[in-house]
Amino acid sequence: MRFALIGNPGVGKSTIFNQLTGLGVEVNRYPGTAVALETGNVCYKKEKFEVINLPGIYSLDGNTDEEVLVRDFLLKGDADALIAVLDAPRLERNLYLLLQVSEFELPMIMIVNKMDEAERLGLSLDIGRLSGQLGVDVIGVAALQGRNVDRIVPAALGTARPATVRTPYDHHIEAALTSLEKTLSTPRHKNLLALQGMSQDPLLIDTAGSIAREIEQRHRMSVHQIIATNRHNYARTLASDVVAIGESKRSFDVDSLLTRTMPGIPILVATLGFMLLSVFVIGSWMERIIVSAFTNGVITPFASLGLPPLATQVGLSLLVALQAGLGIAFPFVFTFYVGLSLLEDSGYMTRAAFLADRAMHRIGLHGEAIIPMVIGFGCTVPAVMSVRILKTRREQTIAAFLITMVPCSARTVVIAGIVAAFVGILWAFSIYLIVFVLIVVSALFLSRITPGEQFGMIVEMTPLRCPQARLVLAKSWLRIKEFLFIAMPVLVITSIALGLFQYFGIIDAFQAIVEPLTTSLLGLPAYASTALLFGIFRKELAFETLAVLAGTADLGSVMNGVQLYTFAIISVLFVPCVSTIAVLYRNLGARIAVLASLYSLGLGIFIGALINFLMK
Amino acid sequence: MDPSLREDLLEAICLLTRDSQRSPGIREIASALDKPEGEIQSGVTTLAADGDVIYENDGTVTLTATGQELGKRVAKKHETLQCFLSEILGMDRSSASDEACVLEHAVSDDTINRIGTYMQSPPRRWSRGQGAEGHDTSPLPALTDFNEGDNLIVSGILGRERASRLLDLGVVPGERVRIKRKLANHALVVQIKGCDVALSPEVAASICVERSG
Repeated sequence: MRFALIGNPGVGKSTIFNQLTGLGVEVNRYPGTAVALETGNVCYKKEKFEVINLPGIYSLDGNTDEEVLVRDFLLKGDADALIAVLDAPRLERNLYLLLQVSEFELPMIMIVNKMDEAERLGLSLDIGRLSGQLGVDVIGVAALQGRNVDRIVPAALGTARPATVRTPYDHHIEAALTSLEKTLSTPRHKNLLALQGMSQDPLLIDTAGSIAREIEQRHRMSVHQIIATNRHNYARTLASDVVAIGESKRSFDVDSLLTRTMPGIPILVATLGFMLLSVFVIGSWMERIIVSAFTNGVITPFASLGLPPLATQVGLSLLVALQAGLGIAFPFVFTFYVGLSLLEDSGYMTRAAFLADRAMHRIGLHGEAIIPMVIGFGCTVPAVMSVRILKTRREQTIAAFLITMVPCSARTVVIAGIVAAFVGILWAFSIYLIVFVLIVVSALFLSRITPGEQFGMIVEMTPLRCPQARLVLAKSWLRIKEFLFIAMPVLVITSIALGLFQYFGIIDAFQAIVEPLTTSLLGLPAYASTALLFGIFRKELAFETLAVLAGTADLGSVMNGVQLYTFAIISVLFVPCVSTIAVLYRNLGARIAVLASLYSLGLGIFIGALINFLMK
Repeated sequence: MDPSLREDLLEAICLLTRDSQRSPGIREIASALDKPEGEIQSGVTTLAADGDVIYENDGTVTLTATGQELGKRVAKKHETLQCFLSEILGMDRSSASDEACVLEHAVSDDTINRIGTYMQSPPRRWSRGQGAEGHDTSPLPALTDFNEGDNLIVSGILGRERASRLLDLGVVPGERVRIKRKLANHALVVQIKGCDVALSPEVAASICVERSG
């Protein structure tokens, strides 16, 4: 048996999913999309059932990856029972999706979550009456307190049945549905989708298309609009019948602070600044522990094994890759993800998006783009993957370009390890400042030259709430797993390849070729070019390689401050790492991947040369 | 025979047959059309010769298939025109009926169809954004024209791509919205169906609203 949770974003599906399944959740990328699908198991009366957490959506009639995924899932009838999750205080809006789901005639039960919040707002819901109207079992749940969560699985097993509720559509739509059903004998929900231009069946889409055009001419509105309006109106009728509005316990509205320019913007800057600083401090501390443990426990014993030179080289490369991966992944990326999940789960991220809208407009983006940008401070790879939340190609392109410039955790390590340690902490911050200015300048430039149009922000502001430790950790864990699966293999393979290059002397040859450029233009020692090259594979490797090639960890003794500073800024800017280029290629195509790489290469060398020239 | 008399006769016979469920006689037709019986008598004879009606021996008149079709068509034209004149143009019903009697003979089928379509959904104010037809270009108030705390009713959305997400969130014509926050750049937070939705200025500007009563 398989159950699937379906509902709007932010209704508490994940809370319920986590309470039902406990640990051992798997995340699969649905074939052909970037959307993650969580799958877990639940035990009931010594039997195991599979639970799928479908991504949160507002409608089944849209074309976003999530909507298409859920729609296909329902069309295939992949689950034995659907568990529709609705939000009690926002019942009316949530019923809109439920009315659409009902049309698929799949066995289902319905959960009205956040009953506690509704009670606080003075709303009382007549669950029995709602159940009667919809023709399915409805359970009132307060997932955060665990109220009635135990009733979900027995109900899904015992009483799941297709809902009987049907939206009464405009008579032209109804007539079209009937005639399609009669002539082509296709089911109602497929006809509805076909009228809105969504169907794989060529005959159906053709017939429905011509009917739809006729209806649109008569109504002067799109069929989609007519259907949506009918559904919303019916949802209102249903909701007003079961929801009684009473006295609400008024509490202080924190949004009156968070969404105003004052003090909202200072709060936003402080929040993000605090988060990044904490990641930096906690990360460096944890990294030191992990790296030294790994060196003492694994690398030193391995090096003393006395294997043949080639085997030693390959083995060491592999171990160094693992060490670097772990040294970045857990201390920096994981800590960052915890912070990010806190921001998201508390609902603050949507406020941040709203406030950032104005600034983002200046650079050809809109508020929602702040989310990928912030993720970029953790790791560029998931940040590039998340640009798909932006609707147009233009916005995605600009955002992807800028994200490759945002200093990720690995670049933070370089800045901290080279500049903060040997030149001074203020100089380290000045690198952030320079990068920030460059991002803004690049953005202004890109927003002029990138073709395409802007879509604008439409974001539901999820209610502020206290994030739950367990969900935050679970979410961070899922994300870090994603990071490990994407970045780790690339890390290991490139590290071994570099080890072999070094072994066969290819690296020295490269160093000799670019030496004039390195020494005269950038004013760096010749071996710095090799370190930079390594940095393409993994940013923090630039720092480590530099130390190895310089023959000392005390870089201050072999390079002067200007050289260290130049080196750091070049490696921060110059060419995104291999994993980033790979996701750029996968998500936005070869052209953007090449352009972004060349752009940052050029920018890195230009700024490096400029600093060298000015400070020499 | 005068074509308009022919149409009048067929229309009258058609309506009388429909209303009383039996074939009318000459006198009934004459009183319905307010014309002397003699004129009707000769008219019906001509119609019978043309094959539009059958003049029965008992003095009643029955429509043939062709007569039936023409009669119905004229009756529909009359109805549509009368409705248009009274409902849309605001004429009183009886003069609308008289006028329709005259117009029905001259108006083309296409015009009638177009008037029919028009009356089923007169152009709402928000149809402006659908562009090409563009017969209404008066500037409409958009969300961005109002202030924090204003209670409004959505009258329409301009532009179709964006509309989809807005529709999902409940921004449909007739829905109540309240502006919860408005920043200097006209980015808005609106409350709709109990949910807060943040909108970019250009999105907010595409939502036409009216102040709620």
